[in-house]
Amino acid sequence: MQTMKQSKDPFEVAFEEQEESPPESPIAADENETQTPAAAAASGQGDDVGTSVPPSLPSTTTGAAISIGAAGPIVKSKEEDEEEDEDNMEIELGKFPPSGDPDKMAKMQTILSQFTDGQMNRYESFRRSGFQKANMKRLLTSITGSSKISVPMTIVVSGIAKMFVGELVETARIVMTERKERGPIRPCHIREAFRRLKLEGKVPRRSVPRLFR
Amino acid sequence: MNNPSAGPSSKTKVGSSQSSETSFKRKRGVFQKDLQHMMYGFGDDPNPLPETVALVEDIVVEYVTDMVHKAQDIASKRGKLLTEDFLFLIRKDLPKLNRCTELLSMNEELKQARKAFEVDEEKLASTE
Repeated sequence: MQTMKQSKDPFEVAFEEQEESPPESPIAADENETQTPAAAAASGQGDDVGTSVPPSLPSTTTGAAISIGAAGPIVKSKEEDEEEDEDNMEIELGKFPPSGDPDKMAKMQTILSQFTDGQMNRYESFRRSGFQKANMKRLLTSITGSSKISVPMTIVVSGIAKMFVGELVETARIVMTERKERGPIRPCHIREAFRRLKLEGKVPRRSVPRLFR
Repeated sequence: MNNPSAGPSSKTKVGSSQSSETSFKRKRGVFQKDLQHMMYGFGDDPNPLPETVALVEDIVVEYVTDMVHKAQDIASKRGKLLTEDFLFLIRKDLPKLNRCTELLSMNEELKQARKAFEVDEEKLASTE
């Protein structure tokens, strides 16, 4: 990326800067444990819970307990006011929207209570991470060329993009296990993951015929 | 490489005179910080490789671009681009669709909550 003229790794600098804002910088406490939190959680629980954990955790569909953290992406998108973040989170936790399944919520609570530190860390990053509303708005404005991008549209596109990143990363991890490789994800894994997603039809392709082949 | 329009400082966009430009040179690393946390949350290392983050950012920008173009194609008949056009695009992808409806309803709830909060504040102010 940028030239590392600084004495530290640019990510370290970025992580230090990140200290001020709510999402904690993920520090590698124990790499092996954080490697496969879903699998670890699955092996720790009973079988029926275990089978449902891996798919439901990353792709938050109708999970009721997710409603607590569903405020996460929206709350985080208002990053102008840091204190407002905390207040909004508390409002959400107190409200406990009944839009969910009490069964699912209870299940989620049992799973969450048994998380290790590393797993909790990763789960927190999963919940709280999101695209900055301002950046996404700017990107959408530059693509559409029009000036008015509504807030719900930004929210929807950010949500879709975040889930897409999830699909990419998860597929890349699958590729890595197939190749029996470990460690951080490398670009070649992402490229292979992207190729597979395209084959599955999960990536919108331009229907405009390519002129130059 | 002292290009004033590129570099990490351009992310904060103090002067928004270039907001309509689509030069990707300027957009390097716009989502870098967010993506690092996101990738860690989804299963990557706590410190993802910089080149991986850059590649994911490129892919995501391309994905959003293609999707917006498709949504615009759909919306061109009606004229204006609406949120519903995006929902129509992902209608086949149930996890995404459910997530988006969830996000939208939460947004509505938050708006109502904030409105109620302001009304209460006014009441308190008037009774004093």
